[in-house]
Amino acid sequence: MRLVPRGPVGPALSLLVPLFSVLLAFAASLLLLALFGTSPREAAVAVYQGLFTDLRGFSELLRRAVPLVLAGAGLALAFRAQFWNIGAEGQLLLGAVAAAGVALFSGIEGGWLLPAMALAAFLAGGLWALLAAVLKARLEVNDVITTLMLNYVAVYLVEWLIHGPWKGKTAFGFAYTDRFPEAASLPLFPGTALAWPGVVLAVLLAGFFAWLLFATTFGFEVRVLGENPEAARYAGVRATVTLSLVALFSGGAAGLAGFVEVAGTHHKLLSPLQISLGYGYTAIIVAWLARNHPLLAVLTGLLIGFVFAAGDVLKVALMVPFQLVEVVNGLVLFFLIAGEVFLRYRVVFGGRRG
Amino acid sequence: MRKVWIAVLAVLGALAFGQQELKAGWLYVGPIGDYGWTHAHDVGRREAAAAFPWLKTIYVENVPEGQAGSYIDQMVRQGVKVIFATSFGYMDAVLEAAKRYPDVIFAHATGFKRAPNVATYMADFYQVFYLNGLMAGALTKTGKVGYVAAFPIPELKRHINAFTLGVRAANPKAKVLVRWIYEWYNPAAAKEATEALIAEGADVFAFTEDSPTVVQVAAEKGFPSFSHYSPMLKFAPDHVVSGQLVHWGVIYKDFLAKVYAGLYTPKNLEDVDYWWLLPQGAVELGADFGVPINPKFAGRLKAKAVNHPIFGEINVYDLVMKLHGLMKDVELAFDPFQGPIKDRRGILRVPEGLRLTKHQLETMEWAVEGVVGPWPNEPKK
Amino acid sequence: MVEDWLVATLARGLAFAAPLLFAALGELVAERSGVINLGVEGMMILGALMAFVVADASASPWLGVLAAAGVGALAALLHAFFAVTLRANQYVSGLALTMVGLGLSGLFGRAYAGKPLAHPLPKWDVPLLKELPWIGPGVFEGQSALLYLGLLLALGLSVFLHQTRPGIHLRSVGENPAAADALGVNVYLVRYLAVVFGGAMAGVAGAYLSVAYRPSWTEGMTAGMGWIALAIVIFAAWEPLRAVLAAFLFGAFYHLAYRFQGVLPPEFLKMTPYLFTILFLVLSALGKSVRLGAPEALGRPYVRGER
Repeated sequence: MRLVPRGPVGPALSLLVPLFSVLLAFAASLLLLALFGTSPREAAVAVYQGLFTDLRGFSELLRRAVPLVLAGAGLALAFRAQFWNIGAEGQLLLGAVAAAGVALFSGIEGGWLLPAMALAAFLAGGLWALLAAVLKARLEVNDVITTLMLNYVAVYLVEWLIHGPWKGKTAFGFAYTDRFPEAASLPLFPGTALAWPGVVLAVLLAGFFAWLLFATTFGFEVRVLGENPEAARYAGVRATVTLSLVALFSGGAAGLAGFVEVAGTHHKLLSPLQISLGYGYTAIIVAWLARNHPLLAVLTGLLIGFVFAAGDVLKVALMVPFQLVEVVNGLVLFFLIAGEVFLRYRVVFGGRRG
Repeated sequence: MRKVWIAVLAVLGALAFGQQELKAGWLYVGPIGDYGWTHAHDVGRREAAAAFPWLKTIYVENVPEGQAGSYIDQMVRQGVKVIFATSFGYMDAVLEAAKRYPDVIFAHATGFKRAPNVATYMADFYQVFYLNGLMAGALTKTGKVGYVAAFPIPELKRHINAFTLGVRAANPKAKVLVRWIYEWYNPAAAKEATEALIAEGADVFAFTEDSPTVVQVAAEKGFPSFSHYSPMLKFAPDHVVSGQLVHWGVIYKDFLAKVYAGLYTPKNLEDVDYWWLLPQGAVELGADFGVPINPKFAGRLKAKAVNHPIFGEINVYDLVMKLHGLMKDVELAFDPFQGPIKDRRGILRVPEGLRLTKHQLETMEWAVEGVVGPWPNEPKK
Repeated sequence: MVEDWLVATLARGLAFAAPLLFAALGELVAERSGVINLGVEGMMILGALMAFVVADASASPWLGVLAAAGVGALAALLHAFFAVTLRANQYVSGLALTMVGLGLSGLFGRAYAGKPLAHPLPKWDVPLLKELPWIGPGVFEGQSALLYLGLLLALGLSVFLHQTRPGIHLRSVGENPAAADALGVNVYLVRYLAVVFGGAMAGVAGAYLSVAYRPSWTEGMTAGMGWIALAIVIFAAWEPLRAVLAAFLFGAFYHLAYRFQGVLPPEFLKMTPYLFTILFLVLSALGKSVRLGAPEALGRPYVRGER
């Protein structure tokens, strides 16, 4: 068996293939569930009833998707510039830290508190990414490594804050900060646990990034820089400035995801593993599936959000072991990347040499 | 006696409700395979399910704090009427859900906030820790006992204090060296913390972490240890002296039987707070069920004599057995936190002749004399 | 006093380093061939379970280690198929492998929770060498047999990569696969072998945890070590002998976090190796003296006839 490159593909095919692989992945997942004694019919019905028959269920899907879309749209922008930002997880955590800091210690009250938290989160996440971008632009330090390492630094920074200086007086010795004041809570959509401003923010930001990327000179520079750095230099693109701005936006978007998580769900700073359920890492997949198109990240974020939320439903409704849900999630990813392959290549069976 | 009472309740319930089914759900913080906290709760759930034919149970493992509310929604959707939330971190989510579902009964383990439909429950070890401390004090040769601890929260501080009081009752000069790992479950961290304590001269070990790591590491070096939470005697049959065991099933059966009988309703739980100790059988002394002291250590414990204020000259083995008997009795003729007790800064914390209230036990932040090592949030006054 | 500290830090640092070393050496070889595998954590945990199950059933811990290598290799084969044959996105495939590994091990490991292992791996003293001052008791006394094998493996791999023909082929495949292909090296085969070797070593690393470091099985017992191994490869600049040093540093800082507790927040000590990695990269970029870089073709699939 060998693969022959396809060349450019039409829009119909580039839409059909991923759709087909998603369907195939779901079919395979149901088959796996069946192997472990869960009837596929029951599973499908449970997911339908759990997520699509009332507002509360559906809102959980959105609640899972919001941080993925925010961070994913930012990563799509970064990847366009060949800024290999693997650090959305850390940038998200820094955003959560900054938002918590403003909520607890700034003394700002009333209606200005939430915007101040969001701004702080955006800046903190952005600056965390900027560090790696500057090192890359100025010293050619590998950005995959620095952003990945900075994730761990962020994790321990949060750990230190909640065990040490920021530990709450009302936390009973547990590793939490105090609860944020009321004014620091994002409003919830009535009857759900969904902080609706997060949804608005995610869609607006994805749109803004898409506009930036495809309708502005800056976006043109970003794309040239990503596709052909040599040409970019001749064309007078200032690599350091462009890359820095990209990092600021990309990290900032992840920072906002951290803001939405603490202001919408947790209302305090807590263990990094609880703040983010791996959203920063999953967002890489979201951006990749979206072919680094910020607006498409809304769709792919929803898709992955659905996979997670469906797993949550199955765990409770049919007592599917959570490990099986994890296996299913991994399987879905395998199918998606396999599908991607068939988009780029034709499979030819037989003779090795062509 | 208790078993009879539960059986009567169950029959009454059956009469009152006909053959109606009751569905209960558990939120677990870790995987059942942790062989610690979550494992023990699941054993309790299975006991309850086996005891009551009218009971249907479901559970979810690995529930992150931010998802607790959503899992509760899913459970209620499945017709669950009683929800047990088994981690402190679920407190806010439980209280919010309780408002959302006023007809559902919630029980929150280790929490302190209640509502008309939210009860709290806890099976506490502090008495057992005192007894383990006595044995540890008798067994240490270096005078240094190592303690690997999860989080510096009042629960653990209470346990370490009780343990240290026991150690010092058997060996007034001994010290308890404490290391925090800031995790409930992390075998690697527990191992390195134990090794650090060994490097500092500790030769007997106790711990609060959800794996048999400390027991295994100590045994490798030939040091005695006290197991935690699940039976760990089999991990080092020659080196585990005793330990603390939990029976959540006792609480679950009592609670569910009362719900079924209509004694507990979603309107009257504001004051229902289980604080169950040795007398209720919610906890047990031992490294395995029915083995309070490993017979292999009986000789060494009997060889160590102490001068006890009540019993006079007595060996540690007999002392443990006597006090164990007293603490298992509801009369509570003995309590580890019996005044006078000073903290390690010299401040009198329990005056002569007094004991601590449950609230004082639950909010304990100070360290008794003999505790060595970092102690976050230690009060200065 | 100083001697006690030194010996304990050496001994503990190495004991903690052993699983990191195996996993890192395996990943290092895979990455040298140009394939990155983020599935280390998943392969490691599968190895841990497999080793425990086999050692428990056969009463032979070494058979357990072997079985762990086998299951790790098998898992890596899946990744190799996606990364090499299908030329799929390596990052996503590795992440998926981790998810599948963690899930499967939890699913099949339930029956083994809370079971002691009757025959764990032996500890060895190295004759003669253990008489050395400081280094003797720190390195050559009472460590697991696997640690010594890991140290030998690092030495062997270093020689292999730099002194032997197959080793040079491996490196050339990772640096410039087209050129290697032109010279008659079978790029696909080399990559398959390297990735599968990486998986086998990750399996052994897992086995160390469940039959030597802490002989028992608990779900999720790798607790993120697979990710640390990935960091170590980078820190080691893809050099096997530097991987020994890097793994030791991670182990030593982990141990010292508990020795210094009360003096220094443990989080800072645990953060240090990661900061070191960045600092190291910056310094070598400033100095330009040390050529520190990933294999040129890392993460990029090779397509014959495409440049």
